[in-house]
Amino acid sequence: MKNRSFPTLLAFLLTTTAVIFSGCKRDSDSQPTVGAISFEVKNVVDTQDLALDGTAYTATNGETFTVSTFEYYISNIKLTKSDGTTYAVPAEYRLINTAKPDSNRFTLRNIPVGSYTGVSFIVGVDSTTTKSDPLALAGALNPANSMYWAWSTGHIFLKLEGTVTSTRPNKALTCHIGGYRAPYSAIVTAAPSLNGATLVVRASQLPKITLAADVRKLFDGPTKFALSSFPTTMMPSAASVQVANNYAAGMFSVKQIQAN
Amino acid sequence: MLLMLLPAGLRRWLAHWRPAALLALGAAVVGSCATQPDALRAVPGTGQPANFPVMVYGLAKNPPDAAAFALGRRLFYDSQLSSDGRVSCGSCHQAAAAFAHPGHRFSPGVAGRLATRHAPALQNLRWRQGFLADGGVLSLELQTLAPLTSPDEMNTPLATALAKLNADPEYRRLFAAVYGPGKIDTPQFLRALAQFTAALTSANSRYDKYVRHEADGALTAPELRGRALFVAKCSGCHATDLFTDESFRNNGLDRTFAHDSGRAHITSRATDRGRFKVPSLRNVAHTAPYMHDGRFATLAQVLAHYAHGVQPSATLDPLLRQPSGRLGIPLSGAQQAELLAFLQTLTDDAFLTDPRLAPPAGPAFAKLAPLTAAARN
Repeated sequence: MKNRSFPTLLAFLLTTTAVIFSGCKRDSDSQPTVGAISFEVKNVVDTQDLALDGTAYTATNGETFTVSTFEYYISNIKLTKSDGTTYAVPAEYRLINTAKPDSNRFTLRNIPVGSYTGVSFIVGVDSTTTKSDPLALAGALNPANSMYWAWSTGHIFLKLEGTVTSTRPNKALTCHIGGYRAPYSAIVTAAPSLNGATLVVRASQLPKITLAADVRKLFDGPTKFALSSFPTTMMPSAASVQVANNYAAGMFSVKQIQAN
Repeated sequence: MLLMLLPAGLRRWLAHWRPAALLALGAAVVGSCATQPDALRAVPGTGQPANFPVMVYGLAKNPPDAAAFALGRRLFYDSQLSSDGRVSCGSCHQAAAAFAHPGHRFSPGVAGRLATRHAPALQNLRWRQGFLADGGVLSLELQTLAPLTSPDEMNTPLATALAKLNADPEYRRLFAAVYGPGKIDTPQFLRALAQFTAALTSANSRYDKYVRHEADGALTAPELRGRALFVAKCSGCHATDLFTDESFRNNGLDRTFAHDSGRAHITSRATDRGRFKVPSLRNVAHTAPYMHDGRFATLAQVLAHYAHGVQPSATLDPLLRQPSGRLGIPLSGAQQAELLAFLQTLTDDAFLTDPRLAPPAGPAFAKLAPLTAAARN
């Protein structure tokens, strides 16, 4: 029995240390200086909400496709104030899964009050976290979510699966983007413009930012892909980096900012 | 962040009793290292052999425990974890072959589909840096996921495996006994399997006893000549008493690597094409066939490859280019025979026949027994 409790004891030891440090910090900022932001991402194709029911969509080049799976991580969210200072939201890893409607809405808490004019986030998972001890990978990062490569340790950052219906015969559309090693690192940051609006965080209100994520932009960005010749992408490659750069550049757009 | 995982009450308690808790915990940690509880002694392979480097996957990462080990052993041999219910870890990793798959270049997975590489021996995994022939997997615990989820091997998504375990009252009971009540989750599953795979320590061959000056550790004159040859010609890669330096090297199997680029599969670097993890040579007389693709059926073929079969390519390991420009390792027929004699001394019979590592008893595992028996013949 004694040895079984060893990891627990170790955790307590670490935790106790953490308590001491966080305890010190808490004394110095006892003012209610934080608020929260409600965050929502709507997965769309152009102006239509994305459905996984076989609906055929039209890409920007006229080709048609259906989607059966569309999910991706958002992490390392940063908020920028008009004076250029940035607040990095700690330890926030969200898996947006079109098949799970609740997954696209979440609340960022303990945000320092202020007026924010910019937002950015990694579409994926930072390399330190994705390489870390699997026993610490809980919640969205759990390898059981099938957003994980068993053959090359790390998360799949974005997964799109479906069918290209404008080809004869139809063609499977398989796009798994991941990888954190040069030269094919797919860790990219999206920074959709707030279009001049300001996200005002106060202790007394819950502002909301609503983004749209347009599937078409995976194939239409700095690199133009034809779906008919899009390669099956299931490991880090030049093509997967191009897709990542495409979705970093243009997939996300800010639809609405509500002060509430 | 770790703090947030604890219930609020416990956090408050810890905050209040901070100094006392630190002292008590410190004493407990020291105490558990100094005394070896019975539970730990009952788990094989927990010691640090005197002639081995320091463990990479130390005991503290997943403290050996008899009940957790038994659970890991059961999981390792349970074919219900495969999509067709016919393939377990133990199907392709058999104890009598140092957990390699004798007689199979590529092991059949579910529905008879073949794996893309030879099933390697599993031994001394506590000392490994990275897993798979290309080093793609970074930890022993994560290694479980590769064969479990590969469509050509066990073909079971992790979530499906967890659902199967959670639907099985016996597994619920066994996991609860080790990890406490609640659903069986990813960390529990990975930890339990690693209890077994980490226990596969082979450190009691005649060679080990020789270097540790233990009883029954005599080597014959040809074996000693073979050892001297080995040190001179092979230990550049097969280093330390683990017989691997854990590096990735191109040992000249082919001129091009279109089918399997090895380390480059993970790193995407041209300089890594054709490089594969240097395997340990422990129990090597029992782990045939050899190489990542099992192309050599005998050790004699392996030595012949190094003597006169090495193929040139841009990434060929420098140790296989002689100053004269000749490729490979110069080895006369007599030298090859002495090397073979030495390699036989790396066989650890106690490991190959350890009943604690064999399939557990019971009807669910009965069909594995004939396979294991056949492999021993």
